[in-house]
Amino acid sequence: MKTILVKTLTAFCLIFSVYLINVQTAMAHGEKALEPFIRMRTIQWYDVHWSKQAFNVNEEISVSGKFHVAEDWPIGVPKPEASFLNISTPGPVLIRTERYLNGKPWTNSVALEPGGDYDFKVVLKGRMPGHYHIHPFFNLKDAGQVMGPGVWLDIAGNASDFSNQAKIINGEMIDMESFGFANGVLWHAFWGILATAWLLWWVRRPLFISRYRMLEAGMEDELITPQDKLIAKSAMVAVPVMVLAFNAMANNNLPNTIPLQASLDQILPLPAKVNAGIVNVDTLKAEYRVAERAMKFDLKIDNQSNAPLHIGEFSTANVYFLNKDLPVAHQDLSDSSTVSVEGMSLDNNDAIKPGEQRTLTMIVKDGLWESEKLDGLIRDADSRIGGLLFLYDLTGKRYISSITAAVIPKFN
Amino acid sequence: MMSANISKRSFRPYTGEKARISRAYDYLILVLALFLFIGAFHLHFALTVGDWDFWVDWKDRQYWPLVTPLMGITFPAAVQYVMWNKFRLPMGATLCVAALLIGTWVTRIFAYHYWNYFPINMVLPATMLPGALVLDFILMLSNSLTITALFGGAAFALLFYPSNWPIFGMFHVPVEQGNGQVTVADLFGFQYIRTGMPEYLRIIERGTLRTYGQYATPLSAFASALLCTLMYTLWWYIGKWFSTVRYLNKI
Repeated sequence: MKTILVKTLTAFCLIFSVYLINVQTAMAHGEKALEPFIRMRTIQWYDVHWSKQAFNVNEEISVSGKFHVAEDWPIGVPKPEASFLNISTPGPVLIRTERYLNGKPWTNSVALEPGGDYDFKVVLKGRMPGHYHIHPFFNLKDAGQVMGPGVWLDIAGNASDFSNQAKIINGEMIDMESFGFANGVLWHAFWGILATAWLLWWVRRPLFISRYRMLEAGMEDELITPQDKLIAKSAMVAVPVMVLAFNAMANNNLPNTIPLQASLDQILPLPAKVNAGIVNVDTLKAEYRVAERAMKFDLKIDNQSNAPLHIGEFSTANVYFLNKDLPVAHQDLSDSSTVSVEGMSLDNNDAIKPGEQRTLTMIVKDGLWESEKLDGLIRDADSRIGGLLFLYDLTGKRYISSITAAVIPKFN
Repeated sequence: MMSANISKRSFRPYTGEKARISRAYDYLILVLALFLFIGAFHLHFALTVGDWDFWVDWKDRQYWPLVTPLMGITFPAAVQYVMWNKFRLPMGATLCVAALLIGTWVTRIFAYHYWNYFPINMVLPATMLPGALVLDFILMLSNSLTITALFGGAAFALLFYPSNWPIFGMFHVPVEQGNGQVTVADLFGFQYIRTGMPEYLRIIERGTLRTYGQYATPLSAFASALLCTLMYTLWWYIGKWFSTVRYLNKI
């Protein structure tokens, strides 16, 4: 029997050790988990930039960028009446010291307007050293988390060096890392000692079997002594009196407290930057070819600008398909790993002249449709695609259109 | 001899080996009960009170003093039934709440602080010990479910907010942030990033408990007191339905 047990344990340890050899920290945070139609047709991110990706504890960095709130907001997703720009971190390895929406400081949640354009900036401060994969993302009430583009951040230094001072309204500086902790421990200890004393008062005498036997024998009066009653009576008065006295003391010490703040910030969108009316793009048809991992768009483009334009880029859900033949620069995508540099092809790559209306076919093709789990769109209940189409003139001036269309799958 | 058949005249206290075994049994049950209540009550509390107890920026004037005592009086009521009716031990509520606090502190330190990096002051637990003590005192002195439910249940709820204000009041000091004012507690919520906890998820300061001007807390506390009397009674009977001394009767 003993031999069998030893053998079983040895086998178990061997099997378990195989798993231990390749233990890795989980770095994903569900960025591809949300259905594609939500990732494509809610928050459309662009121009996201990190000021620094390697920095020290206590050092501040920022992430800034822009987003368009899709006009074709999915019917199955509640409108963004309460939204919160967040940062995906494995716990507060960074703290958020400032946040701005359209240049305005922004602390609480905000209502976004479909069709609106916004720019943002979040200032972060290194707190815990490590190597982290971080995204800006939107928490959308009742909808989920819509991720922005992610990067790897390296924070160096010692966690113990971290300091976070805040100035309360009377001008006093407080240390957020320890504020109120000792006071909290003190009160918990105070009530804990009283509770322990009360428990020990009873635990010191024979308990369950003895008391049960006495109770069954009708000796109830001997189980609760006059001394017990006196203590209980005194304490029953003393405890509420102490509670109220300590509460009054706290009130006196803190005359200017306020309730938790729960307002919704009101920030209006910027003047239109996407679908601004100068270049209008209508998606006539969209077709996804499953085997080729290619999305084919038939687009009708109306160039009302005074310069010839080229299609330079299509982006959706942080995947970027670039036109390699574009003679001017694209948005800075050096931080991104989801760029298909040669993923876009057009049936007519000539410049669209001022005043011209052209119907053309654009194919955006890459394995990223599959690896980023966007091809699942064809199995979504709302299988419409959305994304941003970037057009450029020869000086690099950019016109952005938010395009949308139902997707027809081609399985063969 | 079956314990249940003991009469006052025939009762003889345990001595010698019997007394030692009985005492060992006491400690065994106490330790098991402590771990049971740490686990079970803590789980119940985390699932029902949840974020109101986890985070300093959820501890508002309306829902926190309403929800916490209401969910916190459950296990104490059930355990009080057993402890009092079967053993005349007036410590069920205090034992439960003390066990809850042990579990809560362990979780806050190891799960929230060491594992997830939150400063402990952001996740300080609330205390219900004063209310639990009063609940035990009232049961012991009244020996009545009705009186304990009415006065003990009410006291458990009414004492909750004032006993916690010395701990959490200082987190309600205003701070200027982003051209507006927030409390220190709100600032914790803003600064220390919680990916799964956007600001709008906080259920605070909502609803119509504002009938009497800005005095939301007393209203919440009295609403909680009323509900606690009912909740106490319900859980007292849950304690009655699910407890048994059949094994003691076989000793």
